[in-house]
Amino acid sequence: MTADTTNATATPTASPTAGRAKPSAAEIRRRRIRRQLAQGWKAFSANTPGLIGLIVLLVVIAIAILAPVLVPSSTLDVTKVTAKAFEAPSSHALLGTDYTGRSLLGMLVWGARASLTVGFTATIMSTVIGTLIGMAAGHFHGVTQAVLMRVIDFFLVVPSLVLAITLSSIVGASLLTIIISIGVTSWAGTARLVRSETLTIEARPYIERAWALGASDWHIIVKHVLPAVMPIVLSNTTLAVGSSIIAESTMAFLGLGDPMVISWGSILKSAMDTGAATAGYWWYVIPPGIAIVIVVLAFTLVGRALEAVVNPTLRER
Amino acid sequence: MSETIPASGAVPAPPADAMSADERAAEERDARGGAAGWGKYILTKAGGALCSLVMVIVLGFFAFRILPGDPAKSITSGRQVTPAQLEAIRHQYGLDQPLIVQFWKYLTDMLHGDLGTSYVYHEPVTRLIGERVGPTILLTGSAALLSLLIGLWLGQRAAWRRNTTFDRVHTGIALIFWSVPTFWFGLLLIFLFSGTLHLLPSGGMMTAGTSYAGLALVVDVVRHLVLPVISMTAVSYAQYLVIMRSSLLEEMNGDYLTVARAKGLKEDDVRRRHAVPNALLPTITMIFMTLGGLIGGAVTVETVFSWPGLGYLTYQALSAPDFPVLQGTFVVFSGIVIIMNFLAEIVYRIIDPRLRK
Amino acid sequence: MSNTTPCLEFDHVSISYTRRLGDGKRSTFKAVKDVTFSLDKGGTLGIAGESGSGKSTLAMASLRLLPKNAKVEGTIRINGTDVNELSWGKLRALRWTEESIVFQGAMSSLNPVQKVREQIDEALRIHVKQKPQYASESARAKRINELLADVDLPVSKGDSYPHQLSGGQRQRVMIAMALACDPEIIIADEPTTALDVIVQAQILNLLKRLVAQHGLTLVVITHDLSVLADTCERIMVMKSGEIVETGESANVMTRPKHPYTKKLASAFPTIGDWSSRLKLPDYTAPDAPGDQGRTSRELAADGTPLAELTSEGDAKDAPIFQMQHVRVDFGSKSSVVHAVDDVTMDVYPHEIIALVGQSGSGKSTMARTLLGLQKPTGGDVKYEGAIFPRHKELKEFREHVQFVLQDPSGALNPKQTVYELVAEGPRIFRMDDEENIVYQALEEAGLSPASDYVDVLPQELSGGQRQRVVIAGALALHPKYLIADEPVASLDASARAGILALFLRFKHELGMGSFIITHDLGLAWNIADRVAVMYQGKIVEDGPAEQVLLHPQHPYTRKLLSVVPSHIAEEGIEEAEAAETATVPGAADAPAKVAAGTADHA
Repeated sequence: MTADTTNATATPTASPTAGRAKPSAAEIRRRRIRRQLAQGWKAFSANTPGLIGLIVLLVVIAIAILAPVLVPSSTLDVTKVTAKAFEAPSSHALLGTDYTGRSLLGMLVWGARASLTVGFTATIMSTVIGTLIGMAAGHFHGVTQAVLMRVIDFFLVVPSLVLAITLSSIVGASLLTIIISIGVTSWAGTARLVRSETLTIEARPYIERAWALGASDWHIIVKHVLPAVMPIVLSNTTLAVGSSIIAESTMAFLGLGDPMVISWGSILKSAMDTGAATAGYWWYVIPPGIAIVIVVLAFTLVGRALEAVVNPTLRER
Repeated sequence: MSETIPASGAVPAPPADAMSADERAAEERDARGGAAGWGKYILTKAGGALCSLVMVIVLGFFAFRILPGDPAKSITSGRQVTPAQLEAIRHQYGLDQPLIVQFWKYLTDMLHGDLGTSYVYHEPVTRLIGERVGPTILLTGSAALLSLLIGLWLGQRAAWRRNTTFDRVHTGIALIFWSVPTFWFGLLLIFLFSGTLHLLPSGGMMTAGTSYAGLALVVDVVRHLVLPVISMTAVSYAQYLVIMRSSLLEEMNGDYLTVARAKGLKEDDVRRRHAVPNALLPTITMIFMTLGGLIGGAVTVETVFSWPGLGYLTYQALSAPDFPVLQGTFVVFSGIVIIMNFLAEIVYRIIDPRLRK
Repeated sequence: MSNTTPCLEFDHVSISYTRRLGDGKRSTFKAVKDVTFSLDKGGTLGIAGESGSGKSTLAMASLRLLPKNAKVEGTIRINGTDVNELSWGKLRALRWTEESIVFQGAMSSLNPVQKVREQIDEALRIHVKQKPQYASESARAKRINELLADVDLPVSKGDSYPHQLSGGQRQRVMIAMALACDPEIIIADEPTTALDVIVQAQILNLLKRLVAQHGLTLVVITHDLSVLADTCERIMVMKSGEIVETGESANVMTRPKHPYTKKLASAFPTIGDWSSRLKLPDYTAPDAPGDQGRTSRELAADGTPLAELTSEGDAKDAPIFQMQHVRVDFGSKSSVVHAVDDVTMDVYPHEIIALVGQSGSGKSTMARTLLGLQKPTGGDVKYEGAIFPRHKELKEFREHVQFVLQDPSGALNPKQTVYELVAEGPRIFRMDDEENIVYQALEEAGLSPASDYVDVLPQELSGGQRQRVVIAGALALHPKYLIADEPVASLDASARAGILALFLRFKHELGMGSFIITHDLGLAWNIADRVAVMYQGKIVEDGPAEQVLLHPQHPYTRKLLSVVPSHIAEEGIEEAEAAETATVPGAADAPAKVAAGTADHA
């Protein structure tokens, strides 16, 4: 009913081969992928917040990788520290020191490693599990679907932090525990999303056409569902990394992390435990949180930009 | 960001609709048959909820039993005990029975409302939980109400004035708050209002060493409530804003809105009478589901502010670890969320005429 | 027409949209280019055009309902008042009271959570100032009942929610709503799209009656020329925003001047008109009859063309499909729907058979049963003499019988190139020489030169081209037989002829017959050798095309023929009016039947 504003072209306008040449199948595929990536990039780069987020992320990742170079681990050895505890920011400790006298700036740099590692690993784990189960729950019907739905619902309903706490308390405090806790509890959200997408895609006529052409379950899932689902999974994953980082910091804060590993959450834990917050040591309390906010915000912006690329109707949002 | 970690999968803007079109179609097929449909619907949903609850209960038991380590040692941690004493303790807590017997005891006890005895406090877990449910509900209830009011109102306004300054600014602020860890925000507030400005108390529910009553008590509690509520609200209002905004944006494409305008309706009325009510439908379900997450998130806030609720109890139980308490809070928290979701599905069916027939 | 001021006037109106693209640039699109026309009181005008012609934009512009990014140049006057100069308050007062729009009765046109009655009530409440007689609730309730009765809806339907009504009922609600404030002008935007031919006829007759009764000025906008012929005095044909032809409807329909109009008109052939029998603008079948029809030499005693008999004689070697008492049921025990109800039919490999019926008659289900995509609840389906193959043989079967779906945009994965789409079948079967097969299939489907199309994505093609890609994909497997479900229903009229020509070509050049499902009897007249009519799951008539279409036996077939352009319709206008109060059981006000939910009775 809204007035029609598009005009399907009568002749294809984007055909790069005007001549008589007959490109091969592989060539056609390569060209298509290149075009789609270029289009995707064009749409992404038009989204300024997304670009900013991407740059920030690249910087932070670089810092994390270069941590041993930027801040030699010897400077963070508790036994070798020379400064006093709880020093305010000065020329030799730009962000002050913690309760043992270690430079907070150095700890922040190293903390990036733990936070990013956990964030990425946990999310990859939850994404892979979630996508596989989500596709299966969407594609297969009958008993398989019923069972999978029950399982997904269960993991959705259990309050994740509580489950993570439970798991950590049972299995012990370490980085791996945190990764597994987050991965195991967050896959359900992805699965639900993927399942919903799979149902939508499989309702489309071209899936029926594929059946009519003689396709098998495998062909449908791999050649049609998966490529269609990937963009959404990608944007969802990016957003999920942000939540994983927050989750990691929360769990470290609550004492479920490895006490030997420096992460932004553990810095804040010691801030609370040593009374730095109530004592008014702002350099202890504020920078780690800001670091978390910046990184998570960057992931969120990139994730939203990806969503807009994937779903053009969102571009006007 | 709300403390529910998995919510990240479904929640980030725009949200996956509460139910996909296919699920709704299936729901519709279920729902056909009028009154009989209602009964069938409730039974199906209740059955699902019950199933989840059972799984939670079972998981609650076995998770704590497959752990490496000896519960008896946790009970007596820090004290010197002889092996004979350890044995006596195991017997006292029934830890020397076969697993199946323990499980049966666990189930039957639970049906009687007995969730075991705390290793640390040596009190019935049920009583501990009972004492602390109130404060948790006070905290999360206030935060939920506040977040909803602020989030929904801002969200619908932002959607209707898409891409104006109002929209951009508020969506931006919401995104930032979404990226803030709740516990850090709490620490920040303590730092600012308590540590530096000395305006508000830094923890607890009531000022220690006092015994107020009546209005004075209320004021005291409210003073203690302010910072924790602000912490929780700041992070969750953002979620509701984004959800409402997306819902309304989708609704705004509806043809029936053009029809309403053609009839001569004022823009404001088109929004208020047509767009927003329709946009609220999927929003309400999402809200119920995230409310469950809010409850789970109470753990961090209560810990930071030493608020005497279920969350703080869970945290304190971590250090021992006090398994009966952890088990109990796990079951209770999960149970609350399951019930919330069940209510969500009932409410949705009541308000959406398309599901009735 | 003593009043000299025209009721509705468009004076050199141009409308353009500005869009901001993803990369920040702006693009301007001219939807309407310099359109001028006027309508006097009591006049009826039909605006015909395909999607993208700008016709709906005109309707929206008349009440200033266009989105913010639309720019309107020129003047639009309603009863002499310039619409674009009005203040918002005056505009809102004018809306619905002087002119109203009957929108397409789709689900999305009504608020899903409000009862239908409330939505009509709203229109009355808004204009209480101009229509003070409706200030009280009881007066409004009475008025609503009047309106519902006027559109032949039982009053109780007012308490329904939109999803509880059928398409035809919703359309009537839209009409009732448009009449609520006694407007002088009514613009009906696609009032019969997505409705069945019989319901279409009912709605059109309703509009005609209301126009006469209330002295309305009517504008009907549609892509279907045949709808306009009956209802409007004048027709205006639009293409790409411009008027290409205008004149009295009889003239425009029978003696179109502009080539585009000719193309549009050819999409709605008159059954019984020999110039469109087995003849399309692009292709004439070898066995097409002359323009005067078949001479007596060519006819058998009962009127069956001999040509069809002999061709059937050849093809009567062996049926490719045999259906015996096939039943397909849907739904639960309490509400079973017999989509296919005890059908026995033979299908032959070298003929084109058209399965005709309304939506909800079960024809799509039957197609899917023949394709093995749907398992029958009872009865047997035999392919080449053997009970339908299962599993491994099913895959082999797919090489021999292929499928063309209705909606070409949905039928193609939007992320794959034309090459990959056509190659999908050969890849599944691991055929050698895939590239040659693909190129050849594209050429056979009319996409030539193929190398121009291989790199293209579906969204860059027109509807007709997309359907050709789907057909090419089917051809790539070198099938023996094609099954097509509404192959041209979603296409613009101009693309229709090309696709139908393909089917004729396949029959004569490749010896490949087809089973075409359609609601369009004109299509059957154009290309079918045999016609089977389906009604509520049963085959009510089955025979050679010319026999069924020219001498229908079953009352349902007669009814179908009476509401489309055909000799029967011309002969019996009185019959067409009697069709409104049909005696065919269940055809009017029958409850929705099919679980998949598109039954459209009443």
